[in-house]
Amino acid sequence: MIKRLIIDAAYYLDTTESYQKNKRFFYNLLENSNYRYKKYFDIFMMTLILISVVILIREVKSPVSEYLTFFSAYIISIIFLIEYLFRFWISSSVSRVIIEQHEHDITIGNEFKLYKALKKIARQKLKYVFSIKAIIDLLAILPFFHQLRLLRIFILFRVFKLFRYAKSIETFTSVITSKKFEFITLFVFATIVISVSSVLIYVMEANNPDSPIDTLFEAVYWSIVTISTVGFGDITPVTEAGRIVAMFVIVAGIGVFSFTTSLIVTSFTEKLDEIKDTKAIDDIAKLREFYLICGYSNVAKEVAKALRKNNNIIIIEEDAKKVEMAKKDGFISLNYDPGSIESYKKLRIDIDTQIKAILCLSHSDVENVYTALTVRSFNKDVFILSILIEKTNRNKLSFAGVNEIFYEKELVGIIAKEFVGQPVAFEAIHALRTNYNGIDINEILITQRILKSYATVGELQNKKYRIILLGLHKNKKRRFYFNPIDSTFLELGDYILVIGNALFIEEFKQSLNKKVNDGF
Amino acid sequence: MAFSNALIFGVNEYTLEIEKNISSHYKNVYIFELAKDVENGFDLSDNWDDLNKKVDINDSVAFCILEDMAENIFLTISLRDTFKDLVIVALAQNKESSDKLKLAGASRVLPTTQTTANVIVEMLEKPIVTEVLHNILYEKSSLQIAQIKIGQNSSFAGMHPADVEWSSTHGIIVISIVHEDMSRDFIYSSKAKHHQIKSGDIFVVVGYERDIKEFEKLIGADE
Repeated sequence: MIKRLIIDAAYYLDTTESYQKNKRFFYNLLENSNYRYKKYFDIFMMTLILISVVILIREVKSPVSEYLTFFSAYIISIIFLIEYLFRFWISSSVSRVIIEQHEHDITIGNEFKLYKALKKIARQKLKYVFSIKAIIDLLAILPFFHQLRLLRIFILFRVFKLFRYAKSIETFTSVITSKKFEFITLFVFATIVISVSSVLIYVMEANNPDSPIDTLFEAVYWSIVTISTVGFGDITPVTEAGRIVAMFVIVAGIGVFSFTTSLIVTSFTEKLDEIKDTKAIDDIAKLREFYLICGYSNVAKEVAKALRKNNNIIIIEEDAKKVEMAKKDGFISLNYDPGSIESYKKLRIDIDTQIKAILCLSHSDVENVYTALTVRSFNKDVFILSILIEKTNRNKLSFAGVNEIFYEKELVGIIAKEFVGQPVAFEAIHALRTNYNGIDINEILITQRILKSYATVGELQNKKYRIILLGLHKNKKRRFYFNPIDSTFLELGDYILVIGNALFIEEFKQSLNKKVNDGF
Repeated sequence: MAFSNALIFGVNEYTLEIEKNISSHYKNVYIFELAKDVENGFDLSDNWDDLNKKVDINDSVAFCILEDMAENIFLTISLRDTFKDLVIVALAQNKESSDKLKLAGASRVLPTTQTTANVIVEMLEKPIVTEVLHNILYEKSSLQIAQIKIGQNSSFAGMHPADVEWSSTHGIIVISIVHEDMSRDFIYSSKAKHHQIKSGDIFVVVGYERDIKEFEKLIGADE
């Protein structure tokens, strides 16, 4: 009976949308560094931590108002307690464990073993409770339960909570932990040196009435002060033997100190690229829209240069040397294989909402086909453009789901034709394309706002702005009307094509959107 | 200036595309391969005497489209060295080789990377413009771009181009004007606005075939 109720409750929770949505929300807020609102939560928590520490410092010498003490001891603690409970909740899914155990038992034809599921749940939850971060969280709540002065020191554990919210501290910890073995070796070495030298100095000095070293504690204190190269000079050996020990400790101290420094420096150097990549990935996750260029060929370089004026560009390239080149050229570029699904997962890119288009611009058709296929395997809608190197591979790119194929050699042929046929006309179009002397050709979308003020082509007043209206592209009919007559109606979603000075086009665009205000 | 012969130096995929597109413009298209002992083969150390005997160089355009840029530049410079007035169109893969080809004496450089990149960017950023220009340039629609030379005693002589209602009266749009000195100005640029139309100017116009022909008659085109 109880088993049945528990199983029903587990299935109910697992399938209830609002419960899962809330759990996801709290998970994002507490654990997902890419979640948009997490940074506000983190700042709020960090502020609370700093307030408690400031109150603690102030309390030492001067009286603090009751309100502040109450705020620190209760309000902040309660907030931390709530946070702790939420973290405990999201650390694992009780319902999922019960369902998995239930399904497992049913599949093999056994009766549902509740105790097994409860054991698993307890193991998961205890694992969380005994994790370093959770212990710090718990200790940070303690002042709430104890008003004893000594326990106020636990407030300082709140400072350790900063590890949760400050990414740079997390990076530092990860770098240090990557050299765990070396640090342990160093620690063992330092411990041996300290132990040996403490005992030695104690043996040499303790019986001498002139020596300040009387106890073993003083000997250990002296060793640590000396080996760390701090050397306060408050305790110094007076016997010759003691001084010989001191020399040994000083030399060993330099060794320990330089070993520590070099260890930290090398671990940072080794991890530097990784840290930079992580930072870049975090930045990319925050971008609203960008073009993703796969492969850094010469064409990719030129395309990226031209696109970056008005867009964000991200380059992924398998060849580390090319990635370096792209970085030198000032682009955000990452050393990932564009043909691997894993790369897109690691980059945490939301292809549907963040990517304007994927450009396969590698030097090899094989790579471009592979990249396009990879992207198509998990996204059907994103726009993919690819260059074609060998004409015979055109169909392969089409099969791979490329929306637009660009064949450079064909373009050269067409240019050659225009050049020999109508060189002057060709030059004019070429100049328009390359924004020669500031003259540009551009398209302006007819929006609802523009339509409020302008119903027909004749009302546009393009001549006033010294702009040529080349034509109107009717969105509904998908047809281009060259040189439309003045009475042609404008419709939502149409595009007008204009030629003129880029600055004048911009002014013209602004005037189209502005008139609606002037009317009032 | 129309020529009778096109000389294409280099056999590769560019050759096929160029030959396909230009063959209708020339009486003869000669393709030369960079190889000895083959028919129509050539060597970079050639002194071009054979070529001179074979075709009328003064009535030819040369296309230097070797894929190795160093060889292409060498070919261009040796052709220019021998034939001072030959029109040489050369293929450049990047800005660096483009500059070198110009120094080597190419009359016109086709920068492949730059042009490809420009068109790709245009496709992404201005899809409608790209489609329209594509149709105009590649003649898939009856809308065309044409160059029309102002004839002697044209009725437009002395007028300012920006003042004439070309589009409503003649159904065409004048985009730019090429002056006698071959300098080019777009119609609403400040220089063109103050320019008085005179014979010898070339108008670059966009319009339907029929309107362009009528306009050509009207302004008394020489060609």
